Amino acid sequence: MNIAVCIKQVPDVPSIRMDRERMTIIRDGVESVINPLDYVALQAALDLRDRQGGEVVVVTMGPPQSEEALREAVAAGADRAILLTGPAFSGADTLATSHVLAAAISKLDPFPDLVLCGTQTTDSDTAHVGPQMAEELNLPQVCGVNEIHVEEDYLTVKRLSDGFVETLQVSLPALLTVTQELCSVGHLPFGDLEVAFSEREITQWGLKDLELKEEEVGLRGSATQVWKLSAPPPKREGDLVSGSPQILVDHFIRKLEDLSILDEEDGYK
Amino acid sequence: MDTSNDLKGVWVFGDYRNYFQNRVTLQLIAKARDLADKLNTKVIALALGDRVHQWAMEYVAHGVDIVLAAEHPDLKSYQVETYCSVVAPWVEAFQPQIFLAGATSFGREFFPRLAKRLHTGLSADCVALEVDTETGLLLQTTPGFGGELLAEIVTPDHRPQMATVHPGVFQERPHNSEAVGRILYPDVDVVPETRVKLIRSKRQQTRQIKLEEAPVVVVGGRGLGSREQFESLFELAELLEGEVGATRPVIGSGWTEKERLLGQTGKTVKPKLLVSIGASGAVQYTTGILGSETIVAINRDPQAPIFNMADLGLVGDANTLLPLLIEALRKRI
Repeated sequence: MNIAVCIKQVPDVPSIRMDRERMTIIRDGVESVINPLDYVALQAALDLRDRQGGEVVVVTMGPPQSEEALREAVAAGADRAILLTGPAFSGADTLATSHVLAAAISKLDPFPDLVLCGTQTTDSDTAHVGPQMAEELNLPQVCGVNEIHVEEDYLTVKRLSDGFVETLQVSLPALLTVTQELCSVGHLPFGDLEVAFSEREITQWGLKDLELKEEEVGLRGSATQVWKLSAPPPKREGDLVSGSPQILVDHFIRKLEDLSILDEEDGYK
Repeated sequence: MDTSNDLKGVWVFGDYRNYFQNRVTLQLIAKARDLADKLNTKVIALALGDRVHQWAMEYVAHGVDIVLAAEHPDLKSYQVETYCSVVAPWVEAFQPQIFLAGATSFGREFFPRLAKRLHTGLSADCVALEVDTETGLLLQTTPGFGGELLAEIVTPDHRPQMATVHPGVFQERPHNSEAVGRILYPDVDVVPETRVKLIRSKRQQTRQIKLEEAPVVVVGGRGLGSREQFESLFELAELLEGEVGATRPVIGSGWTEKERLLGQTGKTVKPKLLVSIGASGAVQYTTGILGSETIVAINRDPQAPIFNMADLGLVGDANTLLPLLIEALRKRI
């Protein structure tokens, strides 16, 4: 089974910065990690390959430094890695991102039997890119999968959707997005770092390789724009009380009385 | 009657599979009503299924002007591709300005695929929606970076402006059985998705937890230190006639069930009183409790961010205070 895994390198949340002119996040120079759910997808792909044969291709779109994420995936056991990069790709919303990733998947030879992604990323948390790639690639999709069983020429998968435990059969090729429950990955083994950093080439594809036009990708190919970034809503000005446990308990009880959750006691001290 | 102009208004996808989805649809209808009034247009709700008349009536009673309904055996189960085959042609034919869906599991799987097919913009899991008075654009506020910042998203040139909305952020309107609306059944050509087959669907067996409706919510965080300590929150909650909620680390440690999770990836609550115990106040959690009328926080660390949003902050050890609070309340009740 040939599997493509789409991963994303996400910035470490506490150190994020913004490009105020373009109103996009600056990813260069910020410490980065592979999106945790994409790790789960990668681990699942490696397991499936080890049991079924075939190859695992890892694909990411991002700035040149995203190559680190691909090297990490190769060290963990991925067979090939492709970096989709170029200045035109930056500032993309999910519509433009899924367009570039789908173009890369279409170019893979052989076309994968299965495309796997994490359900969502920790940075933007949209969960859009998986289903949007499936649409562009005309693949069936199942999102939020927590069990995968390989049958003859289809998969049986399970997921939890809006309070229902669903069992579905999906014909191949297909696209699945996976959740944390799929398998407990923890930290991937470092694998063969020498292999990762010396022998294997990371393929790079840009605009021309994917036969895309500038206006289809990046900020220009995006339908949404960030109008304004702001910090979460204003703080409350409350009382902060410290002291003996009894003092704290008294304050708590008095608050309950103020809110009429407790009736006021006659002669309460 | 020519309805084509009326249908260009604010659309809401009717998601009614269970109580929770039913509610978010009604919340969206209320918000759509506000937006439509500002834009001087109509509210249109969609109802797809094998039998949808009762839902169409319910939507009208909650403030919808027009319901677009489709009844077909293949629409009985919520299937993304099959639903797209009905809804995408409707959007192309009737050209709504705005199209909203609840950020339910289904909404978050269906809307991205639909937006892609329509080649338009989509924002995820919005916590606020407004109309910009100058441009008439829909301002879609969505949390990013785990809630560290809020982004206002606009879709300047593509239509419709699509958004999924976090359940619980808008207030539904009361049911009005006198309300008048139209229910239309446009022609549909349902193309069932044959590549994905639903083999079994079983309601998940969990105790009914109605966090969203509880007047008092007691939330425990990692600071409680153990499952046993966390369980003593149930005693406190019972004395206050409330429910128990939890932060992500608590769920991660397996101290309680996922249904109690509050915050960005969990539930949003707006109780009369929220008591937060042993939670430092990460933004992922606090986005779920912002609407609480009163917040009382207990934490050992006076610098904990939770105190910035508390009406009353008690600096103390949760495990010392918890038994004392329970005892004091027992005496009073």
